[in-house]
Amino acid sequence: MNMSGGYRQQPGGSGQTTRKDGKRVAGKQSFPPPGSGGSRPHMTPRDLDYIPESVGGKEEQPAGSHIHDRVRTGTTVGKEIPLVDSNAKVTGQAWYGDDVRLPNEIIGKILRSPHHYARIKSIDTSKVEALPGVLAVATGEDSPHRFGVLPVTKDEHAMAVEKVRHVGDLVACVAAIDEATAMQALNLFEIEWEILDPVFDPKKGLEDAEEPIHWRGKYHLSKTNVQKRVFQEFGDRSLVEKPLAESHGKWSMAGVHHGFTEPHAVVAHWGPNGRLQLYTPQQVPHYTHRALSTVLDVPMHQINVIRTFVGGGFGGKSDPFPHEMCAAILARKSGRPVRITFDREEVYWINRGRHPSHIEVKMTADDEARISGFDIDALIDGGGFASFGHVTSYYNGVLATAPYELGSFHYTGARVWTNKPASGAMRGHGAVNTRCAVEVGLDEMAESMQVDPIDLRLANLLPPHSRTISGFRITSNGMREALEKVREGSNWDEKFRQLPLGKGIGIGCGFFISGSGLPIHWDPNRFPHATVHMQVDMDGGVTVHTGAADIGQGSTTAVAQVVSEVLALPIEMIHVRSHESDTSPVDLGSYSSRVTFMNANAAIRAALEIREQLLNAAWEILGYHPDNLVLNDRRIYYKHDPAIGVSYLKALHKAQEDKGSLIASGAYRSPPMGGVHKGAAAGLAPAYSFSAYVAEVDVDVETGIIRCTDVWAAHDCGKALNPMAVKGQIIGSCHMGLGQVLSEKMVYGRTGHLQNANLLEYKIPSVHEMPNVEPIIIESCDPEGPFGAKEAGEGPLLPILPAVVNAVYDAVGIRLRNLPLTPDVVFKGIEKMLKEMKIDDPEDLPSPRLTHSPLQSTLVARAQEHKVRDKARQRTEDTSPYVNGVLFGFDPTIPLEDQVEGWRTATEPNPEQLAELGLAGRAWLKKEQREMGGGN
Amino acid sequence: MVGSEHIEMIPTPAKKVWSAEVNGTPVEVLVASNAVLLDVLRDKVGTLGVKRGCDLGTCGCCTVMIDGTPRLSCLCLAGQVQDSAITTVEGLADGAHLAPIQSCFAEYGGSQCGFCTPGFLISAQALLNENDSPTDKEIACAIEGNLCRCTGYQQIIDSIQGAAAIHRGEVEAAKPASDPHPDPHPEGPEEPNMPPGHAR
Repeated sequence: MNMSGGYRQQPGGSGQTTRKDGKRVAGKQSFPPPGSGGSRPHMTPRDLDYIPESVGGKEEQPAGSHIHDRVRTGTTVGKEIPLVDSNAKVTGQAWYGDDVRLPNEIIGKILRSPHHYARIKSIDTSKVEALPGVLAVATGEDSPHRFGVLPVTKDEHAMAVEKVRHVGDLVACVAAIDEATAMQALNLFEIEWEILDPVFDPKKGLEDAEEPIHWRGKYHLSKTNVQKRVFQEFGDRSLVEKPLAESHGKWSMAGVHHGFTEPHAVVAHWGPNGRLQLYTPQQVPHYTHRALSTVLDVPMHQINVIRTFVGGGFGGKSDPFPHEMCAAILARKSGRPVRITFDREEVYWINRGRHPSHIEVKMTADDEARISGFDIDALIDGGGFASFGHVTSYYNGVLATAPYELGSFHYTGARVWTNKPASGAMRGHGAVNTRCAVEVGLDEMAESMQVDPIDLRLANLLPPHSRTISGFRITSNGMREALEKVREGSNWDEKFRQLPLGKGIGIGCGFFISGSGLPIHWDPNRFPHATVHMQVDMDGGVTVHTGAADIGQGSTTAVAQVVSEVLALPIEMIHVRSHESDTSPVDLGSYSSRVTFMNANAAIRAALEIREQLLNAAWEILGYHPDNLVLNDRRIYYKHDPAIGVSYLKALHKAQEDKGSLIASGAYRSPPMGGVHKGAAAGLAPAYSFSAYVAEVDVDVETGIIRCTDVWAAHDCGKALNPMAVKGQIIGSCHMGLGQVLSEKMVYGRTGHLQNANLLEYKIPSVHEMPNVEPIIIESCDPEGPFGAKEAGEGPLLPILPAVVNAVYDAVGIRLRNLPLTPDVVFKGIEKMLKEMKIDDPEDLPSPRLTHSPLQSTLVARAQEHKVRDKARQRTEDTSPYVNGVLFGFDPTIPLEDQVEGWRTATEPNPEQLAELGLAGRAWLKKEQREMGGGN
Repeated sequence: MVGSEHIEMIPTPAKKVWSAEVNGTPVEVLVASNAVLLDVLRDKVGTLGVKRGCDLGTCGCCTVMIDGTPRLSCLCLAGQVQDSAITTVEGLADGAHLAPIQSCFAEYGGSQCGFCTPGFLISAQALLNENDSPTDKEIACAIEGNLCRCTGYQQIIDSIQGAAAIHRGEVEAAKPASDPHPDPHPEGPEEPNMPPGHAR
């Protein structure tokens, strides 16, 4: 199948475009000129003001090149200021989930499955109900409605209906006057089980099972446990033939958990008028709101979701959770507020951590060291439920397509259900594991071509304002600068392949979305992604209502900062209210690194409205047109003579004369983007972040212990609204990524049991394992970002893994592909190498060395050429379209599909390809039930 | 937790009056004789700033100072610390005056999600009470029992160094935000700072 229409795309998009000859062609995308904000002829007309206009506008911009620079006042943006809620946190007044204590509360506890996979034949609750002190009992019968974070894969129940799918799956729940009584009540359930045959190995999940973990009816893939399969192919496969260098690696990556310090907790209370108040530390209160409405059969307006402070999220609190439903059900039954708090073990059972993955990457480079082929096969272990998995299956492939210019890209992915706690979204969602694999592959190709891996990357980068091979629209791009900065900072040229045995240095890059282009709920699909309300009363303080979920990353601060910047008010005058769904406009939540980008943009829109009202009032007072007025530090003055002015309060009171409070609303919706092939929406973002890290490690060749000593971490966040917060994100990402690459692992025993569901055996790096991280902020000034900002929360995690793996190679000459690189893994690798090389003493191992081949100078020259090109494009001196493929000689102005024979965009394998599919690709050998004539 | 056997009611150990001085205030509450200090502090005393992260002594979120020594309240029976002086995060500030360690955690980004912060503050304050010019290594040893998943520790160490400087008297402590502070120029400044790009 090629790209036929029919796949729902952007709000209002018809998936059609007009060619120069006037012919309307399905699926052919014209290239957006830089700074166009992505408006396309095939879209229904929209309010262009809706999307901030971007670089290259005709209007002269006084202070720099960004549209928002015109409203900069130098108040807070770009300054290191404390998070606005930090005083609540340092005084212990921040209220997290378990800190909500309502009068008359009772305690809820959850009965969890002791079996991996079993059918519930009967549950007898009579003894539980008879226990004095028990006030409510609920089972799966009380929650017949399914929910799930993605509307396409709603496969969860509040409590198990019919079957349990992993140890720790929710079976029933009880609320009692105190915790001890509730705990005791859990022992009184009498349940008759029918044990089913569990699946733990994702490879087995590809095969037909007696009883698949979920049943998708006619769309079910044979009788396998495959939840989602993906096939994507872009580009010209003929380029892959006769490669100069090749890299082929099979990876096995363990599942990791977010390890946030706050265990899940929830408090539910049905008020006297029958409205539900649900207090929960959630990244996505709005999706919880929706799910509650479905599960409880109560309209959304009868539910008030109150987001407490969130003690760390990292993606682990971005699903509507069954225990939230349980609390609401118990509270409804008992008529009293119910609090449920997890212990640490339960946190691991609800999981949603990074997928355990088997990844195979084949890469090729042609004789000019251009990357001609990227072949990725990713089999990911989804555990018992879908969660975000549908998206993860795509992200594992598509987010690896940039920042490089590729000749062809081939991806097969499959996510399978297994009888383990569900995997889901975790910081760097879906991109981390394959990113590690491809960056190590690049290092290996550089090695075999005898060129410097940084130069190999520099000579193969996509420029700013370009389109990736899979159709993503890159706007600002600081990749080159990031690479250059870390090379310089780490003294790379003096160290790479020159350090003694046991010491090594390695490079890794990253590419991540800054907000997802599509909201998860597409209907009604004309809703904005983010909305911000603003109110200024006579005291002059600005109350900002936003649904943005601050999970510690500082989104509340970012919103306060941009408002303070636009209105030229000190940050103390901005009060952000973001906890309650009753008072906050809908916001989709803190995931896919969207909050700063989308909410701050919405907040700027609202603040601009207030600004306009203030300026109009000042116009009346001063008699100068707003065009000639300037806002500055609680004063509005005449541009050409600052002595002529009016105070902010006076102007405000003038503006309020007839209407009272000034009220404004601002919204953000991402521009229409992307291709129309199946899955084109996955990985689409209004902007992308880029990062490059260099890591230096010490490897003890005798014991295999790796110690990362230094990291130079450059991240392109567009514009650092608050450099302190950005640095915190970069260093924190390093910490989390180092955990994944060196020590963290969810260990499942031979019987499928999770063996380390606690923070002692799940090894998160302590302060002693932290290297010295030097955060380097790159500011590429994104045309559509708020004051140029892009994400900084997830992208910085990606490069640390490959940087460390590559550094280990530089140190001891072994390529390890089993993460985490625990000492035993490294030691085995060293032992194997000693045997192969017939060396006895590991101290005698040769250290890898590099002699540049003639290709090196070609690369350096090309990188230099591209640097000039990129600079011109970044500044928009050059606004010509640039599509992935130009490096291979294609004309960028013609859609690639039209000019190159053999250039393909495919989302299903053709028959010849079926024979040579990788591990996950084998899911394509199975037929859907509807094709087999079955499936009900 | 799960089993078919009927287990006798656990919760009836004898109750005793537990007394201690929590944040300078004498406290007397009725608790079970096997009560864990963390539970007593959160559920009976009401110092909800003491956080429960793991119940196993692995995260350090529940660290409190007992007679000047940082200890994990989840691994401590209330009875063991009868009549001792306990300081929780709520007791660090002197009225509205934040302790230097508190204001520095805010100022240097030592607190992101903030859940581990109370534990870190106690560990750090205990260190600073003993040593007002610690090296980074000494700080690392003082906070090694505290787990932070957000910051990567670097900004926490910066915060503690910042607070140490205040303790040494090199830097002045910040004034409480609640001090009277009338707007210095409610009308805005006469001659405002010209923002970038607006110079005449």
